Amino acid sequence: MLESLPVYLQVIVGGLLLGALYALLASGLNLIFGVLRVINICHGELMMLGAYAAFGLFALWNVHPLLSIPVTFVLLFLLGIAIEKTLVERVAGAPELSSLLLTFGIGIILTSVAMNAFKADFRSVPALTGSILLWEIALPRARLASFATALVITGGAYLFLKRTRAGKAIRAASQNALVAETCGIDVARVRLFAYGLGAGMAGAAGNLIALSYSFNPEVGHVFNLKAFAIIVLGGMGNFAGAFWGGLLLGVVEGLTGYIATAQVVDAVAYILMLLFLLFRPSGLMGSAK
Amino acid sequence: MKESLLPAALAVLAGLAALLAYAALASPYLIAAGFTIVLFVTLSASWNLVSGYTGYVSFGHVVFFGIGAYTASLLAVKGGLGWPAATLGAASAAAVLALVLGSITLRLKGAYFAIAMLGASEAVRVAASTWESLTGGGSGITLPNLLSPRGAFLLLGITALGTIVLTYAVAQSRFGLHLLAIREDETGAEAMGVAATRAKTAAFVLSAVPAGIAGAANAWHINYIDPESTFPILLTIQMIVMTMLGGGGTVLGPVVGALLLGLAGEFLWARFPFIHLGLYGLLIVGIVIFIPEGLLPRLMARGILPRTRRL
Repeated sequence: MLESLPVYLQVIVGGLLLGALYALLASGLNLIFGVLRVINICHGELMMLGAYAAFGLFALWNVHPLLSIPVTFVLLFLLGIAIEKTLVERVAGAPELSSLLLTFGIGIILTSVAMNAFKADFRSVPALTGSILLWEIALPRARLASFATALVITGGAYLFLKRTRAGKAIRAASQNALVAETCGIDVARVRLFAYGLGAGMAGAAGNLIALSYSFNPEVGHVFNLKAFAIIVLGGMGNFAGAFWGGLLLGVVEGLTGYIATAQVVDAVAYILMLLFLLFRPSGLMGSAK
Repeated sequence: MKESLLPAALAVLAGLAALLAYAALASPYLIAAGFTIVLFVTLSASWNLVSGYTGYVSFGHVVFFGIGAYTASLLAVKGGLGWPAATLGAASAAAVLALVLGSITLRLKGAYFAIAMLGASEAVRVAASTWESLTGGGSGITLPNLLSPRGAFLLLGITALGTIVLTYAVAQSRFGLHLLAIREDETGAEAMGVAATRAKTAAFVLSAVPAGIAGAANAWHINYIDPESTFPILLTIQMIVMTMLGGGGTVLGPVVGALLLGLAGEFLWARFPFIHLGLYGLLIVGIVIFIPEGLLPRLMARGILPRTRRL
């Protein structure tokens, strides 16, 4: 056990590095859920498009995925706004399942488009290679950079929500849309903006996935389930909760992959989610329902 | 009440006669195409029984199809059973899984249930590919030829018909009213004395059985199963789209949807596999926005079809 301690540390650190990406993805999903009360089940597909944007920019003009984050963010922000305005807004106020089915359908379309445009091959962007050795733990540079960037973006989004007027409007709309409206907040615009922001964050997460992992058009599906599981772990609508939920999922997946086999890893998110739904539905941090 | 059963009985007899005639006369190509259509009818009608009537939308219904396929194949290959016994085993396994899974997931509401079921089908797929000593893992199981393609078509065709009859019986019963009441307002239904948990679970188990038989029939049809082709998320998507198009919570809605999209898929866009998936996505989006209630209820609202729970 003592000799294997560094191995466990390595596994846990690896889990944390991936967990920060999960946290970034889930934060956007959580933001959209909080404001629109829509479970954006095409969130993983938006991330997948972000990964292809980063891949394309790198392949065509050799733009480093870390530098192309603003570009991807803006592209996905615009796409998100288009989706919200033309489709999601039409089911505002309809039963919850309408928006769930709608975004599910959008996800299928995006996957299919990507499949036709980019084929099913797995891609990655080898822009940053090698590892740093810290004590006995190897830290791949790409994952380390992705981790740090994910923290910065998630933290930035958190500060934006806490400190700015626009952020305050978003939080107000997510607490109580009706009261926010009577206080002079243009809730329809807040919804549009929140969806765009969530989509942009998913796009940025795509850049980081492209930098440090491999992807194909179908990864969106797996990430949807994971992102949803994370906001259940953290507490639906709870921004900080999604962050801790992401890290937790990353670590538990890492440990499961090490102790059992890699194939079981994709079931971890689901099992954790189910346990939380049944025994602690308010999530790690608790949440206003 | 008594005499009004006559048209339904005649329709069932006509359906049975049509199935027998088709099975006897159709060419092997048409048998294969017909198999796909009755597969869609069975699965959509099965999904409708729980999701259409109770409003508990399952994103993982393919899990019952998959468990049926695996149970039937294992009983045939490792247990040495014939196809009838193995098919019954598949139906029972699906029912048991539904009972266990339902007692957990049906406590969850709305989107939570939908996504819990999506995860359940993924988890069972992972189990099927990981447990290699039992399931052969990713390389799957090859089956002996137990049932001819015509036999498999007939088995599934009769299952489809049976599922429609079951839905008809449910729709007319007090039980069916309970399910619809749960869909409209579960708390209200409970306050009126509906045993919601029991009704939901019963509907879930009833809906799992035909899906399990369909999994078995599909295994007899193609003589090979593996985790990827046995738990395809596309199949769940197709059940949802077909039922939504025809109209959930009606007897014939899923049948109409499955026939329309099944025939269109088989004869129009099968040649374009790359846009196949995307078309389903477009259909979902279009249906949610333009005809969220489905074709049959829309026609009933317009007075073109009679407003009745019999259809």
